[in-house]
Amino acid sequence: MSFRKIDIDALEEDALGQDELDFQEIGELRPQHEVESQVNNRAQEVRSLLQRGNAAGALTTSLQDPPYGRNFGVAKARNTQTVMEVLNSIKVAEVPQLVKTLGPQEQDVLMKYLYAGMAAPEQNNSGVLLAWHEKLTEVAGQGCIVRVITDRRTV
Amino acid sequence: MSNTLRPYLGAVRQTLTAAMCLENFSSQVAERHNKPEVETSTSKEVLLNPVIISRNDKEKVLIETSVNSLRISIAIKQADESERILAHKFTRFLTQRAESFVILRRKPIEGYDISFLITNAHTEQMYKHKLVDFIIQFMEEVDKEISEMKLSLNARLRAVSEAYLAGFN
Repeated sequence: MSFRKIDIDALEEDALGQDELDFQEIGELRPQHEVESQVNNRAQEVRSLLQRGNAAGALTTSLQDPPYGRNFGVAKARNTQTVMEVLNSIKVAEVPQLVKTLGPQEQDVLMKYLYAGMAAPEQNNSGVLLAWHEKLTEVAGQGCIVRVITDRRTV
Repeated sequence: MSNTLRPYLGAVRQTLTAAMCLENFSSQVAERHNKPEVETSTSKEVLLNPVIISRNDKEKVLIETSVNSLRISIAIKQADESERILAHKFTRFLTQRAESFVILRRKPIEGYDISFLITNAHTEQMYKHKLVDFIIQFMEEVDKEISEMKLSLNARLRAVSEAYLAGFN
């Protein structure tokens, strides 16, 4: 009976593939090395900002132009790590203030990274992320969560 | 310990409320069928991004959403062997009576202990906020229940061994 499990619709010519779905929202993908070098440069920039004690600057820089698309596994992991470093280095008391200064798009990107961080509890401190999540939902509302769930531009 | 429980449950509550926007949607593959898309996953365009909310690496919640159904899977805290057995017995007891719980899924998702499947029919019959409350209350109660069962199990163990070993005195 295993032939019943074959997805014959996928063999059709006009079948809707994952690539096509992604293309509708992400558009043309940039070359791999370009994305990776951009992510690495940003990681260094963020680190130097953090060392100078500019937490707000580090947060907005780390949330800019995240790598989207299916083929950027390495770059995505690297960028998530950068954002996590920033989130971990900011004191809990400063969080509400900082979240309010972010624009709506940055808030959405931050929410994406919060969920991405919580998906790997072995590497990240879930307690910190949960505190951020609480504060961000207070400011940005549930619409922010809905946009993360529905957006195909995953991080 | 309980200082991470409140934000954890809060995050689950907010995410569930946001994700539970379900509508009636017939299958695009089979005519006159209406199936939960999150289970069949035959059309990619109606599936949304799954999200994981974790408290630590043992306790986490997976929420998978689609246009007409939502699946929430919970990993219950299991610190040692006896808690693992108790959690297994407890979830088995519940899943065997799944009809009476309406939204309970008979089989949990791989890697999780118990799953719920909420479809648009459920959100039409029941209040959305009560459904969310039910899940949150379940998550609160299950930890309490298991630690209570563990205590009574240990008490019983102690009583039995005392009674048994008294014979050799």
